[in-house]
Amino acid sequence: MNSLDPRVNRLPAVGQPGQAEPKAPLDQFGTYEVFVQPRDGKPFQHEGIVHAPNLEMAFVLAKEGFTRRFNCVSIFVADTRHVYVSPLTDGDKSVISIIQEVSDQPGEKVSYEIFHLLKRGKQHVHSGTVKASGPAEAMYVAKNLLPADKVIYNLWAIRMSDIRFTHPEEQELWMTLPEKKFRDASDYKGGDKLKEFLERAK
Amino acid sequence: MMNPLALKELLYKIADDQLILGHRNSEWTGMGPLLEEDIAFSSMAQDKIGQSYALYTMLHELGEQEPDTIAFTRNANQFHNCVLTELPNGEYDFSLIRHFLYDTAEILRFDMLTNSSYQPLAQLAVKVRAELRYHTLHANTWIKQLGSATEESVTRLQRSLEYALPYALGIFEESAYESELINSGIFAGEKALQEQWKIQVEKILQHTQLHLPDWQLIQPVIGGRIGKHSEHLQPLLDEMSEVFRIDPTAEW
Repeated sequence: MNSLDPRVNRLPAVGQPGQAEPKAPLDQFGTYEVFVQPRDGKPFQHEGIVHAPNLEMAFVLAKEGFTRRFNCVSIFVADTRHVYVSPLTDGDKSVISIIQEVSDQPGEKVSYEIFHLLKRGKQHVHSGTVKASGPAEAMYVAKNLLPADKVIYNLWAIRMSDIRFTHPEEQELWMTLPEKKFRDASDYKGGDKLKEFLERAK
Repeated sequence: MMNPLALKELLYKIADDQLILGHRNSEWTGMGPLLEEDIAFSSMAQDKIGQSYALYTMLHELGEQEPDTIAFTRNANQFHNCVLTELPNGEYDFSLIRHFLYDTAEILRFDMLTNSSYQPLAQLAVKVRAELRYHTLHANTWIKQLGSATEESVTRLQRSLEYALPYALGIFEESAYESELINSGIFAGEKALQEQWKIQVEKILQHTQLHLPDWQLIQPVIGGRIGKHSEHLQPLLDEMSEVFRIDPTAEW
């Protein structure tokens, strides 16, 4: 039977008993990391991922997927494969203590955006921009950018040229967000309505 | 002196366009081609309905009935939306082409309206234009990508484009008050809008393998602005207003 839901129709065929088939490749787009700046002057923070066919579509889909409700003034996206990740530390151990010195590398130095993690399970926050000839060097150079008094558990580095930023003329995209009351889940007053309904049903 | 009928007719047609297309696009909710796109398309549909609400509120302030009454109790022949907005969704290629053709016109229309001599409309237009900035970014990006992706995507979009164009030209059906609107500085007129729209449509399609037929050979489908609609509008209205007709005070 054909379903009206296109996603149901994409489910794999059940197959024949007694037969072994090679596993079909996934019919899925790749993932892109989404970073959101909640207010002017606040750092960008990692918000989640979107599936998209390419970087430009990732930007378009991230805007509605991640910035419909809460304050936002700008976003950027990068292919997951372009995010370089340091080892993770735990307890009192800061990742800074285990990042090894990278001797000055030959080759052109380019800009990298650095992100740090202050609490396991929370979001990575933008720390700043450094120049380096590779991600390992970028993390080493980034040591001076990071809050010295805090334990940092993880670092990310993304080459600036791999990022799709918000263009200046696109900042208008979030202009009406603060006044969109219906987009705030609490304004639906779901709890009150449920209470009212239960009262009436008594 | 401004003719209030001219202003109301303008507000009605824009609001009805937004409401009807907003409702149509919301029919994709839960059925979109991928989760992220489902969310984006549904969210834009919600924007359009919100924009229609703002315009119906403006009409209410001009002496028309309450927004809900205007939206939910009129029959098809009292609606001023262009026929393009009421056509069934069909496949996603048609919905995307309609989204592209319609929103290209709407952002230009609201851009013109930011200069309207009717101040409440000029102020609202600044906000609506900002929301439409995303709608056109979304539409242009998809059209540029799928318009030059695979043989199937190009063929399907081309077919939908050719089907939609006569209806799209119906967006610019002129009002009986056209010269009054222009002379009083309320709105620069459908002709001026259509000229800008053609240039922008051509500009985006240049990035694709899609081709436009000769504009002169396209016969516009008009009548929507004076209440002459296809057979598709009344069933849409029946479904949209079902709850309101059962219980006008229902809240959910």
